[in-house]
Amino acid sequence: MSVRAMDKTMTCAEFQETLPELFEAQADLNAQDHLTTCENCAALVRDLNYIASQAKLLLPMHDPSPAVWDNIQDALRRTPGVPSAQPGRK
Amino acid sequence: MNAGPSQPRPANQHMRRNPPIAGEQEAIDKAREGDARAFETLYAMHKRRVYSLCLRMLGNVAEAEDLTQEAFLQLYRKIGTFRGDSAFSTWLHRLAVNVVLMHLRRKGLPQVSLEETLEPSQDDGPRKDIGARDLTLSGSIDRVTLERAIENLPPGYRLVFVLHDVEGYEHNEIAGMLDCSIGNSKSQLHKARMKLRDLLRTGQRKEQIA
Repeated sequence: MSVRAMDKTMTCAEFQETLPELFEAQADLNAQDHLTTCENCAALVRDLNYIASQAKLLLPMHDPSPAVWDNIQDALRRTPGVPSAQPGRK
Repeated sequence: MNAGPSQPRPANQHMRRNPPIAGEQEAIDKAREGDARAFETLYAMHKRRVYSLCLRMLGNVAEAEDLTQEAFLQLYRKIGTFRGDSAFSTWLHRLAVNVVLMHLRRKGLPQVSLEETLEPSQDDGPRKDIGARDLTLSGSIDRVTLERAIENLPPGYRLVFVLHDVEGYEHNEIAGMLDCSIGNSKSQLHKARMKLRDLLRTGQRKEQIA
C-alpha cells in the first residue's frame, strides 16, 4: 500500500500505523499531507524525532566502582597461566 | 546464541560511536601476548562505555557491574580472536551486548520476551492525543530526564531502544541478537519511543502541577 497515495484521506490512527515504516524509510515526514492538517500527529512526529535524536547524543556517563577492577584482577590471578595484573591503579 | 562478536558495522557508524583511541592498538597487541598492564589500559579506555551499556540495558547497578566484570573477563580470554575486521570498541561492545543478553536468557527472560510486549494494547496503539496538544517535548528534555525515562521503559522496549537509538545497531543486527524478526525489532522500537514520549510528557505535567 502506498503511504503517499493514501495520506490525504487517512485518519490519525491510520497515519500512526504507518509511522514505523516512515521513520525506518527515513521518509520526508514534512511531505506527508496528513501532517499539514493534523497538529496532533505533527506534534507526535516532532516528539518522536526529538526523542530519537536526543538518544543518539547520550554519552557513556557512568564509571563502574573500583571493586569491578579488583574483582577482575582476582579472577585473573586465579586463572592458571595468566600473568597477574598490577593492582591499585584504577 | 553466538557469544562472540561479529558483523562489522558501516564505517560511518564506527566513526560516530567509536573514534580511534590513541595507544589502543599498542595495548591490544600487548594484551594479546598476555601483558597484564596492557589489559589494564584497555579496561581504563573502555570501562565507562561498557558499564554504561550494561547499565542502560539492565537498569540495575549491581547487575551492570557484575556483567561489566564478566565482559572484561571474556575479553581477556577472547582478545586473541580479534581480527581487526571492525573497530576494537565495536567488537568489544558487541561482546558486552552478548554477555548481557546471555545473562537475561539465563534468568528466564521476561526481560527479552518480545512477544509479551508486542501484544497490542490501548497503551501502545495509535491515539489522537486529544487535549494534549499544548505539550510538546522538543527542546525541553535534558539528558538526566531522558536517562530516567529510559530506565522506566518495560525491559523488552528498553533493550531495543538502547540497542538501536543509543548504541546505533541496525534492526537486522538487533533481530539476530534477540532472535526475533526485523519487523518485531522495528515495531518494538516504535512502541518504545511512544512509551518514552508518554513517560516524558507525564513528567512534564507533574512538574507543571508542582
